[in-house]
Amino acid sequence: MPVPCRGGCGNNAVLKRPKTGDALCKECFFWAFETEIHYTITKAELFNKGDSVAIGASGGKDSTVLAYVLKTLNQRFNYGLNLMLLSIDEGITGYRDDSLETVKQNRDDYEMPLKILSYKDLYGWTMDEIVAQIGRKNNCTFCGVFRRQALDRGAAMLGVKCIATGHNADDIAETVLMNVLRGDIARLKRCTAVATGSEGTIPRVKPLKYTYEKEIVMYAHYKKLVYFSTECVFAPNAYRGHARALLKDLEKIRPACIMDIIYSGETMSVKEQVSLPTQRICSRCKFVSSQEVCKACVLLEGLNKGLPKLGIGKSSKAKRMLEEYNAKQAEKETVLKDVIQDLNDTSISDDTGHKNRKKDSNKENASNGESCNKNNCCGGSCRSKTNVDVAASNKKLDMLLEQYGLDDNTSDKKSIKENGVTDTNVSDENGVTDTNISDHSDDETPFNGQEEDDTCSSACGGISVGF
Amino acid sequence: MNCKKCGSPKTVILRKKDYYCNDCFMVSTNHKFRACIGKNKVLSPNENVLIGLSGGLGSTVLLDLVHHGVSLENTKKLRITPFFIHLFDDNCKGLAESIIVQCQKYNFNVYVVHLAVYMSSNCTLPEPNCIPDVEEKETIAFRDMLNSMPPSAATDFLLKIKRSLLVEYAKQLKCNAVFTAETTNTLAINFLSNLAVGRGSQLQNDIGFCDARDEYVKIIKPIKDISNEELKYYVDIRQLAPVYYSDIKKSSMQSVISAFVSDLQGNFQATISTVCKTADKIGEHNNNENIMHERCVICESDLQAKDMKLSALEATNLSRTVSFENTQLKQNLENNADFLNNFDDINFSMFPLIHKYLCYGCSRNYSEMSQSALPLHIQKKLNL
Repeated sequence: MPVPCRGGCGNNAVLKRPKTGDALCKECFFWAFETEIHYTITKAELFNKGDSVAIGASGGKDSTVLAYVLKTLNQRFNYGLNLMLLSIDEGITGYRDDSLETVKQNRDDYEMPLKILSYKDLYGWTMDEIVAQIGRKNNCTFCGVFRRQALDRGAAMLGVKCIATGHNADDIAETVLMNVLRGDIARLKRCTAVATGSEGTIPRVKPLKYTYEKEIVMYAHYKKLVYFSTECVFAPNAYRGHARALLKDLEKIRPACIMDIIYSGETMSVKEQVSLPTQRICSRCKFVSSQEVCKACVLLEGLNKGLPKLGIGKSSKAKRMLEEYNAKQAEKETVLKDVIQDLNDTSISDDTGHKNRKKDSNKENASNGESCNKNNCCGGSCRSKTNVDVAASNKKLDMLLEQYGLDDNTSDKKSIKENGVTDTNVSDENGVTDTNISDHSDDETPFNGQEEDDTCSSACGGISVGF
Repeated sequence: MNCKKCGSPKTVILRKKDYYCNDCFMVSTNHKFRACIGKNKVLSPNENVLIGLSGGLGSTVLLDLVHHGVSLENTKKLRITPFFIHLFDDNCKGLAESIIVQCQKYNFNVYVVHLAVYMSSNCTLPEPNCIPDVEEKETIAFRDMLNSMPPSAATDFLLKIKRSLLVEYAKQLKCNAVFTAETTNTLAINFLSNLAVGRGSQLQNDIGFCDARDEYVKIIKPIKDISNEELKYYVDIRQLAPVYYSDIKKSSMQSVISAFVSDLQGNFQATISTVCKTADKIGEHNNNENIMHERCVICESDLQAKDMKLSALEATNLSRTVSFENTQLKQNLENNADFLNNFDDINFSMFPLIHKYLCYGCSRNYSEMSQSALPLHIQKKLNL
């Protein structure tokens, strides 16, 4: 028997809303769904008129619906927002390559500019390569940490006021549960906030915070939106899966519990005497961090040194691993030194060996105006990827230009930005080569300056910085 | 393998890796109990303490620990005057009998009270050590009330009923403190259950060492640092006979959480202790400590809401507003430029009586039950 729509419009209902148990017809559902998101945006003052907003786009249902709804509401209620899509290519074969095609489809459908950043270019590693190193466990840690920073970098390149992400109510409730199970009080405190970001960082907003995953799926289904619906090939091993399974079981019993868990998270207070890490700027990459050196830099250093477990688990373990690593390096160096002395080559007598490479890097660093402390520098490993000659780097530059340019409809203004942006990418990846091109770079975004000050930072960095 | 402490042969293995002998294990368990009371400094010497017994693992051990503590004759004597109470239900009379036997072994008197007393709020003390007769009308009304709600709400509500009865009887017996026997396992489950029913702001009272919601009676959890694993060894060594019984109703959220926690604990040995450590760091939101705020009629929680621009409560109410009879609203929105003004009279039907009489969790329960089934004294307070 058909159920009448609770809206009172006289139509038959097509779905029952899990949040309230009300049955609605298709039209009333669309209207209610969009009005709720509009309410969240206006009540929580997520955007200001005229803002540029980057939508974190994965091609999945959440970000596709977010892009569609934001575009709709932007027109309907005159937000005056300049919306664009920002995607991160983690380099996961069989998952991200396909989903990026969907994002490109969104770009065309919704007429928004799209920018794609890849882990390979930002960090020198694809997720596939990282998983080959670390194994099937803990790889979501790398991906999550890198993506967080990659989104920040992308947003800075695009010069946007904030990043809108597609986190839905289920995601947030799941995060609350996970942070309780992991005992992560700092994240527990901030994970329910609708807008996050301390001073000096680009804020993130979650317009879908109170929207159920089920309704997002229904909305995309009835609106016939194109989205990519495969789970990440590496996700099944993540700890988050436990929290997700629990939430799904709870939801079956009482669908409203997702809102209840969010409410719990929102109203919960942390005792005053509990010391929480303060958010600050990573001393290496200058992006937001709760430690002296951010997790992304630690993880990256681990990868580059062949110690992929460096950033996993306790920091005391990481310290021990680094000490062992340094001891080994020192051993090698003494051997080298002996050889050198045998050869009577007294011109290279600095206490850290790594002779040829070291010599190169010193030279380059000097030309870069950067004081790369001999004892503290990356131990040479950072150069392995960066010994690129000028010709090669120009080729690379062309390639990057092609990859990073905002696809089509690029206005003049954007192409200027694009130049600036490309420079930073190159400097990121190649560490050294940016000196070749930074002269003609257009320092439009403050981001450029930051990056160039610290070319060595995220790609390699010194060993001695504490964790 | 030998005991970590004294080197004698091990008899107890905790967390799959820590070895103890019986003596060292008993000393450390006893110490956990005493340290928990000692370091929190809420009891004054020779205070009257009402001890709630359920007959389960925690309660059996608590009874033994208290007996051991008060029968010491040295400086370590536990300086309290204990009273014992057991709240029972029709379907477990046998449990009540075995608790009377348990207490008599220690020469303690125990008051046995039927939960249905909640319906009349007639908290007169029964004769100790015997199962009282209760009016059938009351027990039926009580059962009907719980049966009128879904299992998750009923399980949550039952905890609140027990809490309120313990407080009432503590007042009758002039006790300023109540001991209850929640273990780390129970608390980890209660923590997640509290989250799932929207009681995040009440965690300190429900999960923390001391529930100070009542003005006069504090409810204390003195074995909150002891795990079920330890209690099982304790019961074996002391040859005690707990009766395993759970209040958690089948196919409730709490039963799902309970199964989940023990399952995860099997794979990750730190799960329960991590959850409880997290609970220790969560406090109560309080803008102004000096003012007594309005309290929830059912659970005595502070009704003062945290100041938020937008919360899940409002979002749920909005969902109801835009889903239910929305034709008028649709028109208003088209005519009225200021969007937010249209939501001044938001639909609160999802959360009846919230903030005025009930907290979020109790309001949710209330909306899911047959409201006329509530005891009259509660209905009166709710101005129904």
